[in-house]
Amino acid sequence: MKSSQTMPSPPLVWLKFFRWFCRRDCVEDVEGDLLERYEVRLNIEGKHAADRYFIRDVVKLFRPGMIKSFEGNQKLNYYGMLKHNLLVSFRSFRRYKTAFLINLIGLSTGLACALFIYLWVEDEYAVDKFHAHDRQLYQVLLHHEESGTLNTGTDTPGLLAAALEEEIPEIVAAIHSTPSFWFGRMPLTHKENTIKASGQFVGPRYFELFSFPLIHGSAAEVLQEKYSIVLSESLATNLFGSAEAAVGQTLDWSARHFADRFQVSGVFEDLPNNTTEDFDFVLPFEYFADMLGEGVNWGNYNSLTYIMVSENTELTDLNDKLSGFIKAKREDSNVIAFARPYSEGYLYSKYENGHQAGGRIEYVHLFTAISIFILLVACINFMNLSTAKASRKTKEVGVKKAIGASRSALIAQFMSESFVMTLISILMALGMVALLLPQFNTVTTKEIQLVFDGPLLLNLTIILFLTALVAGSYPALYLSKFHAAQVLKGQLRSSIVEFWVRKGLVVFQFSLSIILIVAVLVVHQQIEFVQNKNLGYSKENVILFPNEGKIAEKQADFLSQLRNTVGVIDASATTHTIVNGGGYTTGVSWEGKNPDVQTRFGNMSVDFNFLSTLGMELIKGRTFSQDFSSEHEKLIFNETAIQLMGIDDPIGKKVNLWGQDREIIGVAKDFHFESLHEPITPMFFKMLSGPAQTIVVKIAPQNQFETIERIERLFQEFNPSFSFNFQFLDGEYQKQYAAENVVAILSRYFAGITILISCLGLFGLVSFTAERRYREIGIRKALGATSASIVRLLSVDFNRMILVAVFIAIPLSYYLVDMWLAGFAYTIDLSWHYFVLAGLASLLIAWVTVAVQTMKAASVNPVKSLRSD
Amino acid sequence: MGKTYLGEFEEIVMLTVAILKGDAYGIAIINEMEERLGRSVSIGSLQTVLRRLEEKGYLTSALGEATKVRGGKRKRYYEVTVAGQRILDETKDQRLSLWNAIPRLNPRSSS
Repeated sequence: MKSSQTMPSPPLVWLKFFRWFCRRDCVEDVEGDLLERYEVRLNIEGKHAADRYFIRDVVKLFRPGMIKSFEGNQKLNYYGMLKHNLLVSFRSFRRYKTAFLINLIGLSTGLACALFIYLWVEDEYAVDKFHAHDRQLYQVLLHHEESGTLNTGTDTPGLLAAALEEEIPEIVAAIHSTPSFWFGRMPLTHKENTIKASGQFVGPRYFELFSFPLIHGSAAEVLQEKYSIVLSESLATNLFGSAEAAVGQTLDWSARHFADRFQVSGVFEDLPNNTTEDFDFVLPFEYFADMLGEGVNWGNYNSLTYIMVSENTELTDLNDKLSGFIKAKREDSNVIAFARPYSEGYLYSKYENGHQAGGRIEYVHLFTAISIFILLVACINFMNLSTAKASRKTKEVGVKKAIGASRSALIAQFMSESFVMTLISILMALGMVALLLPQFNTVTTKEIQLVFDGPLLLNLTIILFLTALVAGSYPALYLSKFHAAQVLKGQLRSSIVEFWVRKGLVVFQFSLSIILIVAVLVVHQQIEFVQNKNLGYSKENVILFPNEGKIAEKQADFLSQLRNTVGVIDASATTHTIVNGGGYTTGVSWEGKNPDVQTRFGNMSVDFNFLSTLGMELIKGRTFSQDFSSEHEKLIFNETAIQLMGIDDPIGKKVNLWGQDREIIGVAKDFHFESLHEPITPMFFKMLSGPAQTIVVKIAPQNQFETIERIERLFQEFNPSFSFNFQFLDGEYQKQYAAENVVAILSRYFAGITILISCLGLFGLVSFTAERRYREIGIRKALGATSASIVRLLSVDFNRMILVAVFIAIPLSYYLVDMWLAGFAYTIDLSWHYFVLAGLASLLIAWVTVAVQTMKAASVNPVKSLRSD
Repeated sequence: MGKTYLGEFEEIVMLTVAILKGDAYGIAIINEMEERLGRSVSIGSLQTVLRRLEEKGYLTSALGEATKVRGGKRKRYYEVTVAGQRILDETKDQRLSLWNAIPRLNPRSSS
């Protein structure tokens, strides 16, 4: 037949594919089978069908049993070497279990810490970044020139936004808002249902600038009407049952002595977690401007200003235009306006004399540094243990070199060991992170989730490679350096360099640990100090609640009834928040004042009995009293203010406040009316004119529960529809230091982990030294050495290293904590005992670690160690 | 290693190789199986089983002479080894003992 003489021609691509993947030992006969079958089919069923069957056969042959192994048939032996290296790695893990466990625990906790910090830092950077116009959003801040320095603040005149929008072409939109803490929680009433919620007054284009999505209503329209209100989804649901039901309904709003009816014009989705804004509803700024009345002018700072600029606007050009903007409006103005990217406000909030001076970003940097250090400490363990067991690996290296292994092949081997180690650790670290994330979120008050998205995986890979490289590089370079001949003859001696490197690394580890111990001690002490410092007033047993509803109308009546309640020691009212700071004025002038210098005075409007309620002391004069008339024209200054004004015998002297002469009737002892980050500044008390913001009550320490119930009943008598929400002053006070508290807790954990990892490393090193000197110890004991002398022999080296670490760490840690404390105006003294304590603690921990191992080595019966020779 | 058993397909392949005695190469085995059992067998599944059985030591193979057909590729002939013979016998005995153990229900009633 003709066809049997010509060569069959199955699809060539598939035939080549088969030849490529098939095992070498059966490629010939199976190809023969394929072709034979193809010929038969070609004759019976035709070319088309035969081709199809051929392809199917080839595809079916592509299975594990038939595919050639990757091994041994490539020109370069990568696969084989890799397999060998992995095998050797796993064998060494199994053989040196202690070292493996120490590395595993150290690296995985280190990596877990690094991961936690990475997640936290990412979350910090993401705050406020989600707005669609993020790159165009800026906040306008003001530098106030006061007494020769620049004080920076966020409050701006209520006329600024409109003027900016009109006069500066780059500014597309400008709006005002009020921070939600100004009004606290305001009652909103719909029928019988009253809910207190925090809110802001915002300009009409608020929802166009900020991407808080609206469920109902359009961003351009919801705030157009003066009596419209926009609620959050959950507030709308609580008040009206659902977001849909809320739209178009009216509700009654009140704050202090203002009250009005608003119509719901829209509903926005509940604010996300990563925003610094905090409000449940917004009202039109127009209404707030009406509330202020004449207060809206270029010399009053009573709103925040946000602007959206056109794309490609240079910040420096913008700031050039802004700086003189307010001065041009008002001649005697002392403020310089400037813009700051809105999303930077969270991390870069602090200004010193007109210059950006950090803020939360300092903590972000601090923790990033800590995470790097912890990882480094864990890597050092790996380096030390790998080089320490070099004596065990020398034979292996020698034999390999003798057979012809190149140095690079050996480096690859040791690197792959560290790579495998890191990979296992990173998987364990991920497990730990997943497990401990809820606790971490509680401590940091965040809602971080572990989401395996692109950036996280990329960063994990980077961390993996960097850690493996750092941990593996030194052992790899060191171990691969041996000379085969010397090693096999047993002539290897540890070089001086190796000796110093290993010691240096241990010293470095312990220095870091000591620095962290000092930091934890100092941070803890400082926070204790801040929370227990004598503030000049007593914050214990003092409760605060908002002055609202009918109470605001009949304040004097309410207060006198309150004072007569059983368990209440004293009561008063103020416009000040006491802990968060309050109003300021530069409108004080006195005899001999330099007219060119403006000085800010804290301004506290108080009712009778305020000083006694908070236990403030008077140095001179008297406090406000009902026994005297026209108390509204009298003032009480604090010591700092009197000193600043240079008035010798202040009682009875007059100063000018807002154009009116007022008599000084008393001098109060200095007290801290702001955070301890700030020094005490001049301030004065004046009598309340009009309703206060907060009622302050000092109650007896006994039966507080009953007392508060009685106060609540009295409150309900005046305001039947309001719920009674009170706070303890000391609780409010602690909230100011939330950031420091988180830092204190986290630094405690991280210091603990660093010490743990360092000790693990030390433990490993000691045990290796003890093992290497196994016979020596045996001989010494046989010749009569005591256990104690053996312990001394083994631990003297380590003690010396730790002592060196102490001496390095103490000056460094002093420098570092001193820098941190500089952020507080009032600090603890850095006494020597923090450093001695830290040094002793690390010495003790190290000694215990070393002692456990050396004692074990020393107590071995010499018969055992010497018998094998 | 414990005792190895033959899978169903393995057993059939071994039996077919035994039937073909001396003439058992890939396509011949397939043809024989298709003819006798009416089941279609792909080269892939047959070849993997043949290699596996060879690794287990139940089959041995040798390459034949090159011919003009099959693109000049040689055939690989398989033969059952002694161990293979033994495992076939064992398998058969096991099957038989199982068959024998089945109780015949009322053997008389059927007749």
